[in-house]
Amino acid sequence: MKTDLLIIGAGPAGINAALTADAAGAEVILVDESLQPGGQLRQQTQLFSNLPKNKKKTRGTSLNNHLVESLNASNVKVLSNHAMVGSYLNGNIGVTDGFKTFEIHAKKYILATGAQEEGKIFPGWTLPGVMTAGAAQILINRELVLPGKNAVIVGSNDFAFEVIKQLRICGVSIKAVVEDKDQLQSEKQDLLSDLGNITFLTNSTIELASGSGEVEHVSIRTPSGIKELEADFICISNGFTPILEPFEVMNCKFTYKEILGGWLPAYNMNFQTTNSNCYLAGSAAGITTLGPILLTGEIAAWSVLEELEFISPREAHNQKKECWEELMTLENNNVFQKRTEIIADSLLQDNWNPKSYFTELQGGQIHG
Amino acid sequence: MDKSTIVCRCEEINIDEIENALKNGAQTFDDIKRLTRTGMGSCQSKVCLHPVREIIADYHNKDLQDVGISRMRIPLKPIRMGTLATESKDSNVASVFGESVEEGDENR
Amino acid sequence: MQIKKHPILGEKFTEEITFYFNEKPLKAMKGQTVAAALMRNGIRKFGVSRKLFKARGLYCANGRCTSCYVTINGLDHVLSCSTLVEDGMNVHSNESDPDVGGIYN
Ligand SMILES: Cc1cc2nc3c(=O)[nH]c(=O)nc-3n(C[C@H](O)[C@H](O)[C@H](O)COP(=O)(O)OP(=O)(O)OC[C@H]3O[C@@H](n4cnc5c(N)ncnc54)[C@H](O)[C@@H]3O)c2cc1C
Ligand code: FES
Ligand code: FES
Repeated sequence: MKTDLLIIGAGPAGINAALTADAAGAEVILVDESLQPGGQLRQQTQLFSNLPKNKKKTRGTSLNNHLVESLNASNVKVLSNHAMVGSYLNGNIGVTDGFKTFEIHAKKYILATGAQEEGKIFPGWTLPGVMTAGAAQILINRELVLPGKNAVIVGSNDFAFEVIKQLRICGVSIKAVVEDKDQLQSEKQDLLSDLGNITFLTNSTIELASGSGEVEHVSIRTPSGIKELEADFICISNGFTPILEPFEVMNCKFTYKEILGGWLPAYNMNFQTTNSNCYLAGSAAGITTLGPILLTGEIAAWSVLEELEFISPREAHNQKKECWEELMTLENNNVFQKRTEIIADSLLQDNWNPKSYFTELQGGQIHG
Repeated sequence: MDKSTIVCRCEEINIDEIENALKNGAQTFDDIKRLTRTGMGSCQSKVCLHPVREIIADYHNKDLQDVGISRMRIPLKPIRMGTLATESKDSNVASVFGESVEEGDENR
Repeated sequence: MQIKKHPILGEKFTEEITFYFNEKPLKAMKGQTVAAALMRNGIRKFGVSRKLFKARGLYCANGRCTSCYVTINGLDHVLSCSTLVEDGMNVHSNESDPDVGGIYN
């Protein structure tokens, strides 16, 4: 199979990249291992503001429906239920539909394979009923199934609180939030104030999750002794980290930025990795929020369109400039700083001159 | 934490076994993998990579960013043997996939 | 437990189907994954681990951890979180299911 652009991952970043490239006339194949496109946006019922191009405040699930409808109306060839399983020595990507493996040759690739949740180990964490917070979110919002009645939440970041809210409106009772640090990790006061009468246990860890074949009982070590709770499921929320293995087999180099999720592929301001045919977008390029995720998809697509001469350098310049400016306003400042550090590293290594719009972004400063 | 706590879910390797590998000189995730089978299970270390890195960092008193990641091999997903029969005529292809199948004997 | 009417999403599935878990007939909604179909019926233990025969079930719901393996229509090691349930489908728990005790079980 041959195409101009092959995108792996049909989450918000991959879809937005596909739509941008398609609209400019490129032939696009979009591969995703899931049964339906949408990625992790499919179960995000929370409201998002801070979206690009003045999009109005919307639920993740509604935005997802909108993206998928646009995809269906486009010329993008969508291969759902197809997984990227490797790369070939000739640089092509190997894709399987579960029955056979075939290769796709594209002029350029965008890997938008997203992030995975980090686990957290404690005695009994392999027992059925212990799951990631994202798994619980998928159960209630994609599958309309309750994971249980009484939950213990491990971790207190923003995502933990979003999931607590979503579990609660579905009727789940939250028995405790267990945080091993000395204070709650989410800084979003509005999230916290919504939660009300919940038992927060800081400086605490799970001593044991037990039960016969599934979670029934949770012992928690707190500063004031062991607390015993009856609970039938445990959600672990320990942050996200970019999925790396597709980049590894494409021979991309990695770098480390804790705030972006730890190890991640290195890239330049075109969202091009150290493999010049291979671009990236979305959470794969660092953990951030939805607005920036959509924008990174767009920048990667404009860069590919420029390389393949579907648009003029001038148009590419203008489009990317606009996206970068919006990215800077929408993205958390610390996250954006670290992103510019990665890009500054790439400039040093490649002896490239940064584009003027990029140096202007932070008042002429590139940090790193 | 209780040293019998499982770290690698797939191969069921606990903290004690990983610390033993570290006492025997293991420095990296791949060292621990060779000594204990940690990370060689059906998820191919997608779940245990980070918890093991934390244990390595603690043991060697390093920052997490100084503990690298393991090499990931194709196929990236557990797929059935027959599925790998690729239709490609490119002989290089067969060799790349062939090699990784031998190494990744867990990937049925 | 099925959420009859989701507070935000309303009703999403319409068609009820029957599948079998270890020969027992169970109801599910068309469009759900096998993992969700099992959990809807209160079944959370999908099988046992390879070495120590410890209980396993859904963990990541994303096709990455392989904790949710079941046997479907005779094919073993199928990811139940990434496979849709079908009418008449035969699902079996992963591998032998001996009654082993132990603190984590
Ligand atoms: C379970 C979970 C829940 C989350 N919930 C939230 C939330 O509530 N709020 C929030 O702000 N962020 C959440 N996130 C973070 C998430 O990364 C972003 O919200 C956003 O979805 C990222 O968009 P993306 O397009 O980069 O990647 P994703 O939306 O993750 O999409 C990536 C796609 O790539 C596909 N893929 C990956 N590897 C392969 C392969 N080898 N072959 C084929 N396809 C592949 C996946 O199936 C997936 O559909 C969650 C992440 C996870 C894992
Ligand atoms: S958890 Fe270690 S290989 Fe899967
Ligand atoms: S629950 Fe992790 S792969 Fe299915």
